[in-house]
Amino acid sequence: MRLVLPTRWRQRRLSMGALGALAVALAFPAAAQSGDIDALLLADAPAAPTVAARDWQLFSELAAGQVHTLLGRDRDNQRVSLDLQIDHSLAPGWRAVLADRLDVSWPPQVGQEHPINTLKEAWVGWQASDTQAVDLGRINARFGVATGYSPTDYFRTGSIRSVVSVDPGSLKKNRQGAFMLRSQAVWDQGALTALFSPRLAAQPSSTPFALNEGATNASNRWLLAWSQRLNDQFNPQWLLYGEERQAPQTGFNLATLINDSTVAFAEWSGGRSRSQLAQALDLPEDRSFHQRLSAGATWTAASKLSLTLEYSRNNAALSAPAWRALQNSASIGYAMYRNWTITAQEMATRNMYAVYAHWPDALVPHLELNAMVRANAADHSQLHWLELRYHWSQIDLAMQWQGSKGSARSEFGAVPHAWELSVRKYF
Amino acid sequence: MKKQCKSLLALLAFCMGTAWAAPSAQEILAASDAVRNPDFSFGLTNTLIEYRKGQQTDTNTLAIYSKADASSGQFRSLVRFVAPARDTNKLMLYSGKDLWFFDPSSKASIRLSPQQRLLGQASNGDVVTVNLAKDYGAQLAGEEDTQDGERKTRHCYKLALSAQTPDVSYPRIDIWIDTGNHQPIKARYYADSGQLLKTAYFRHYQRQLGQERPTETVIIDGLDPTWVTVMRFTDWTRREVPDAWLQRDYLPRFKPE
Repeated sequence: MRLVLPTRWRQRRLSMGALGALAVALAFPAAAQSGDIDALLLADAPAAPTVAARDWQLFSELAAGQVHTLLGRDRDNQRVSLDLQIDHSLAPGWRAVLADRLDVSWPPQVGQEHPINTLKEAWVGWQASDTQAVDLGRINARFGVATGYSPTDYFRTGSIRSVVSVDPGSLKKNRQGAFMLRSQAVWDQGALTALFSPRLAAQPSSTPFALNEGATNASNRWLLAWSQRLNDQFNPQWLLYGEERQAPQTGFNLATLINDSTVAFAEWSGGRSRSQLAQALDLPEDRSFHQRLSAGATWTAASKLSLTLEYSRNNAALSAPAWRALQNSASIGYAMYRNWTITAQEMATRNMYAVYAHWPDALVPHLELNAMVRANAADHSQLHWLELRYHWSQIDLAMQWQGSKGSARSEFGAVPHAWELSVRKYF
Repeated sequence: MKKQCKSLLALLAFCMGTAWAAPSAQEILAASDAVRNPDFSFGLTNTLIEYRKGQQTDTNTLAIYSKADASSGQFRSLVRFVAPARDTNKLMLYSGKDLWFFDPSSKASIRLSPQQRLLGQASNGDVVTVNLAKDYGAQLAGEEDTQDGERKTRHCYKLALSAQTPDVSYPRIDIWIDTGNHQPIKARYYADSGQLLKTAYFRHYQRQLGQERPTETVIIDGLDPTWVTVMRFTDWTRREVPDAWLQRDYLPRFKPE
């Protein structure tokens, strides 16, 4: 039974309670800091020895999963990977960089060979001063600010040798650079980069341990990139890219802060070229001006969840009617066009929308969630990808799932449903 | 004689007033900044240890290179991730709200918003040094005894800081500064709403780069006091940090020593 006190008594009781609390606070000011004292006692634990910096990173990965093929069968997959990255000072001003990845897959990714080695980088650099440097070797020269489709990433063509995930982050990490000579001058607020990548071979090689220079150095190419920081908000980059038998392409990159939680970005490339279909099928065609664009924004919540919305446009790709016509044709043109766009990492049609999510410490500490949805605006096909990754100090456990929506001949409908469980150990 | 006495008293009063003029709140804050931060470019190692509910849950080691900007006086920093192994040699460029992250495996330089925290509890601004007097207006809220990070009683100025620029992580801070030597003792960081976000204790003063400086900061979460991050500063070195290092295009090239 609840005792109901008269109003006067209740007021008196409240007043006495408030007085009591005040008396405790006055008598024991440290009581208000008891949480602080517990925390300080915790922090008194002996300090662990400081970890020394090192110039290498090595991890191995074991993965097993299943692919639901377009023929309706399930196929088991297993993979072992080793990934090494070294950036070593040889002498004052001199450095050597090596990045290599070995994937051994059952069944093989392509053909009969189980291993595929990707020599990502192997170069030597000489830095005459803090402001001038020259590098020579296989270099992963990457430009662009977009999360997914990146029009100014001019050296992406032919760079993928082994696909272990459709995640754009994985595709950007697990790729081979091009052989080139690169020089860079930096000043207080800007930088100028110039590079030349020569033609070394005409055909790519599928031999497991091939350098595969035919994929990355099939023609003479050059690039100039100029960055100038205008203020805290604007640090644009302009690019000029040239390739043997192609007209020069100009590019532009900008990422700027909208507010404390939002970054907007835009990446544009334009120039005269043949359409993608003409290049894929080697059709004679007059060059015309084509533009490529990726623009969007990344918003981050207080919970650390980051969402990126990205719109991509490629005028050199097929229009919706032309894509429908190619999908429905019986010729090998469809296969040739798809192969060309996959090798060049280009869009199949003109418009694409994408949403990317990245959530470190998702709901529980050390659990990371990554997700992607891409949608083709012409055939309405979709690509879905989800990853849950849990970190221990030196081990990652990851579960990936990919799926698609759309007809078998749509851009993403042909991507099989698959899942993979992997364990990664860092050394 | 009477006139001479008046003049003498006036002179005495002036001299006493000059000698005993209390420093302004802003001067106290600037003096406290000078205790935490050298007035030259420097490098140090920051080891972050995170505890939740009494258990160590995470640890990160960062090598930090800092330099005060000639025009703003505020620090710009380049942060290199040393540990854990999965983050080895990733970089973060911190210059107010001009924040960039570089991953050597993807060669991607990504612009970050201040909300995008790369570490557990600590904000990007917590791990690098800042001159509070450049970004905050200070008011003296009083003098009081308070316990420092080693549970000793210290007589402190209590300053109430309010942000003078939008380029800061916290709109309002209360900070306790030792009246005798201007050592910062503790600070409480608040949201616009008045909600306590964090409490930080600056402790374990040791002689580093020419004077006594705090070599440890203990950060306690405002909502969950059992969520604690300890930042230990070691390997203090006076070193040149060229301006050319502190820009996006230098990140792929950064190779210290």
